[in-house]
Amino acid sequence: MNEAQRAIEHCYAQGWTDGLPVVPCDADQLEAMLARVDRNPDEVLLGMPQLGRSVTVRLAAINAVMAGCLPDYFPLLVAAWDSLREEGYARKGIWQSTTGTASLLLVNGPVRHELGINARGNLFGQGFRANATIGRAVRLTAMNALGLRPHELDQATQGTPAKYTACFGENEEESPWPPLHVDCGLAPEDSAVTAMTMRSTVHVEARHTAVPEQLLTDVAGTLARTGALLHQTVSACVVLCPEHAQLLAGAGWSKRDVSVFLYEQSYLPRETLDRAGKGAVSRISLWRVARDHPDAVVDAGPDPARDGIHAMTSPEAVQVVVAGASNSGVSAVVETFGPRGGRPAVTRIPSAAAGTTTEQENRT
Amino acid sequence: MPAVSICTEAFRIPAQAMAKAYGFPGFQYVEVPHPVASLSAEGLRQRVEEVLPRVLDILGVQE
Repeated sequence: MNEAQRAIEHCYAQGWTDGLPVVPCDADQLEAMLARVDRNPDEVLLGMPQLGRSVTVRLAAINAVMAGCLPDYFPLLVAAWDSLREEGYARKGIWQSTTGTASLLLVNGPVRHELGINARGNLFGQGFRANATIGRAVRLTAMNALGLRPHELDQATQGTPAKYTACFGENEEESPWPPLHVDCGLAPEDSAVTAMTMRSTVHVEARHTAVPEQLLTDVAGTLARTGALLHQTVSACVVLCPEHAQLLAGAGWSKRDVSVFLYEQSYLPRETLDRAGKGAVSRISLWRVARDHPDAVVDAGPDPARDGIHAMTSPEAVQVVVAGASNSGVSAVVETFGPRGGRPAVTRIPSAAAGTTTEQENRT
Repeated sequence: MPAVSICTEAFRIPAQAMAKAYGFPGFQYVEVPHPVASLSAEGLRQRVEEVLPRVLDILGVQE
């Protein structure tokens, strides 16, 4: 073995990897990361009092090097940790849960071009260093700083492939609507990252229609599947491909119109819920249970004329973003935990220090 | 207030890891067969009866 291989194998032996090789981190690389942000290396980015452990800026930087991040990525990554803290699920223990969630990082603004973050084809797939390593850095940090390793404190029953990485940009250039960060009050020239706790990414194959109501009924059928109903209701980030977004916008629909329609179409008759044994809610856990469960309370829907519920509490439980290639009618429902009405954890990324290692831009 | 932690066998390793994280590697807790979440009320009652002697044992209750 050469020196590089020996160092990589040492990291494996220490249990510091997600299964893929990591980049061994030395003091110079750590310093280069830390130099890109105006933050104290000892500052706690995410504390987990229930474990007595925390993620500091320094630990985030070491794991960013190990994940393969360039120093230029670090301001975005620190903002991602700020967003994760604000979003709240991670620090409350969701990364230890049997559900097996991942942290989705949605990136907006010029930083997508500066760092080469893919917002177009193969959005959830491989092939882009920034997407691959920024998301990976979060997971490595969770493992190495918080000790959340599978079969130990990470108790995911099955997990999701998104636990390796889940980071992508919004395709603002091909979206007919304002991007997420602008909806949330930032300027188009600002850059931002938004963390969401995600479960599954479900494809919606809809190449068959130019009728907005048909398209969104198809999306709503995916959103309101009973298997997603752990809690009383669900929430989601609907990632529309540019073709679908333009179809809707061309017919005069706003993002808000889309959310409202999806909410209305997420109606589930009680009979459908009962067939899956989810016709009621536990008054203690607020999880869905069968009607004959001792803690069952049948949750009344909003319409007294019909016995059923909306799978979402409100239109705000759906976040609509546009991403992917302009080559087909394939969109996705990313099933999330929250937000159920609150502002998404959109976090501004401070302007980067003059970069020298920026990757080729992702414009062509 | 004295308390006893109860978890199913499937959570043995995480339970030990949590105990270690808190600085109590030998922490005593009660294991019950998995699963619990899908049990009927009667099934749950049986689990409680099976496990009660072990709970009292950890609490130091003398028969």
